[in-house]
Amino acid sequence: MKNKKDIDKIFQEGFENLDLSPSPQVWENIQAEIKKESDRKVIPLWLRLGGVAALIAVLLSVGNWVFDPFSSNQPAITQESVEQSVEQIDQEAEGTIDESQKIDKSQIVSVTASENENAEQDETEKIDDVQKATSTFTEEHTQVAKSSSNKKDTQTSPKREEQVIPTINEGVVKETTEEKHEVPAASDDVHQQEFNRHKKAIAEVQNEQEGKEDAAEKAEKDNVDDRPSIMDAIAAQEGIASVDDIKDNKPENRWSVSPNLAPVYYNSFGSGSSIDSDLDFNPQKGDVNMSYGVHVSYAFNDRLSVRTGVNNVDLSYSTSDIVIATGPVSRGLEGVDYGGKNVVVTAVSRESLTAGTPNGEFDGLNLKSSAGNARLIQSINYYEVPVELQYALIDKRIGVNLIGGVSTLFLGDDEISVRSDNFSDVLGSANNLSTISFSTNVGVGLNYKLSKRFLFNIEPTFKYQLNPYSDSSIGFKPYYLGIYSGLSFKF
Amino acid sequence: MTLDELIERCKEQDAHAQGELYKRYNRILFAICLRYSPNFTEAEDNLQDAFITIFKKVGQFKGKGSFEGWIKRVTVNTVLQKYRKQKVYNIVEEGQIEDTEDEVEVQEDIPLKFLLKIVQELPTQYRLVFSMYVLDGYPHKEIAKMLDIKEGTSKSNLARARGILRERIEKYRDELENN
Repeated sequence: MKNKKDIDKIFQEGFENLDLSPSPQVWENIQAEIKKESDRKVIPLWLRLGGVAALIAVLLSVGNWVFDPFSSNQPAITQESVEQSVEQIDQEAEGTIDESQKIDKSQIVSVTASENENAEQDETEKIDDVQKATSTFTEEHTQVAKSSSNKKDTQTSPKREEQVIPTINEGVVKETTEEKHEVPAASDDVHQQEFNRHKKAIAEVQNEQEGKEDAAEKAEKDNVDDRPSIMDAIAAQEGIASVDDIKDNKPENRWSVSPNLAPVYYNSFGSGSSIDSDLDFNPQKGDVNMSYGVHVSYAFNDRLSVRTGVNNVDLSYSTSDIVIATGPVSRGLEGVDYGGKNVVVTAVSRESLTAGTPNGEFDGLNLKSSAGNARLIQSINYYEVPVELQYALIDKRIGVNLIGGVSTLFLGDDEISVRSDNFSDVLGSANNLSTISFSTNVGVGLNYKLSKRFLFNIEPTFKYQLNPYSDSSIGFKPYYLGIYSGLSFKF
Repeated sequence: MTLDELIERCKEQDAHAQGELYKRYNRILFAICLRYSPNFTEAEDNLQDAFITIFKKVGQFKGKGSFEGWIKRVTVNTVLQKYRKQKVYNIVEEGQIEDTEDEVEVQEDIPLKFLLKIVQELPTQYRLVFSMYVLDGYPHKEIAKMLDIKEGTSKSNLARARGILRERIEKYRDELENN
């Protein structure tokens, strides 16, 4: 008996019984991928919290300044508020300030000379200071750039002194800043300590006492006239050239906030591919992407300031002269994490392909593109936390600065994909990128003072990445050049 | 666990609930993947991607409509996203091939394994259109939107797919008769 069925029905009825199970490996791969995603979310969360903490700290300090202004004509009030703050600080759970600090502070506060006297002194010392400041800056800059144990010392040295003289030691300001901004040191071994402390610091930031602490420090700063002797002692300890070099700070407008946007060009010095050794000799081209973020800076004096902040940076580059193919995962690219898939997209250098396959390396590959124009693209997203010093060479309506420092880079999302005229796909993410890496930064800043409090900046900065890949044998040595532009608001 | 509880716990990224969801639905969704993918291995890869997307986006399911319908749709979308990028240039011109219903004479039921094989071996776009229209009931308008093709192309792709499948079934039947 012949049944006439229309073809649709054959398949509809046939597939009703389709009940096959995938292999157990599938569920394992799914679990692994979900875990990877949730782990990645943790790091950016810290930075978001850090950014919020920074903002709260800044707002609180502004608020305190506005409502509780200090001046040299009111030393008594200042003294009281400092002692008050000292007590409050002592109540803090962390106990970051110990008993001895209390004593130190009261000694300093009991100083008699007024702000005005200091100002007069400044005028006469100006010329000398500039010269000395230059040498101090160079020294500090060298220290910063080397990211050596100096920094480590700075952070682990007795906090009481650092808290007392925030102006002298940039590491101190960094210390204070760190508790609010979560800026880790540029050396790996301090990292862990810093992160632990920052976890606690973040919880503290919610506490308004932090703002009062800021006020306390400002008070100390304004009133320290006994500075030379104490400062010298500390400077000797910290290895800075001369304490007198640092001028008295003007009590206004030391802080500034600068949101910025930058086109960023990415490329590498070394040769070689970070994705697969087969592609070592393929041409690579860096792309231009965007970075955006906010910087917060603190000015020690008219010339020197330190700054930190958070940026989100997108970087990418393409490798060309390739042929795209699909095949078993064993033929996949070395540097790609395919997420457990069995059939994957891979790329082969055109040269290898045309050179022939003596060992059958290209068997099992299904070529997808041969029309030319095929590119392998690596895109990387970092959260960058820079710590930089800025030295003003020219400080008129138009200013010129020298910038130097380091950044800590936290890996966000990254992706390796292929694109050609008739095919495009995402392969997976890189398996050899370090989650945390660093860069050394050097730049020149140009700024135009729109008003007393507003500046417009353009800062071309060159950043060389120190350890972007967890595989040290990779010859790819990336750097990026960004033109950071934005507005600064001083307060 | 009721389905609602299961969904709520999945929204909270509860690992146990996610495992339970996989257990309940993996075969249904795998059937979809098998019909849309060119082979068993890629079907597994696509199922993997589909579940990862489901777990990531489960928060977007607001309880409107059936959950099974939602996860099936996510699965189809995930698979389409992968194969849609493979732009296959169609030489078939629109309007020339009519949307007729093909009939075949069959003497006995054709094995499921064979049916699956010939669907998987269809050219990518024909396979997608055939599965979406015949097996999942999507209208041509929606297929066109989801595959980013013209509605006419969808219709002609379907006709082509049916033609190829018919030929292969007839060939299979002939071989059976001759043995």
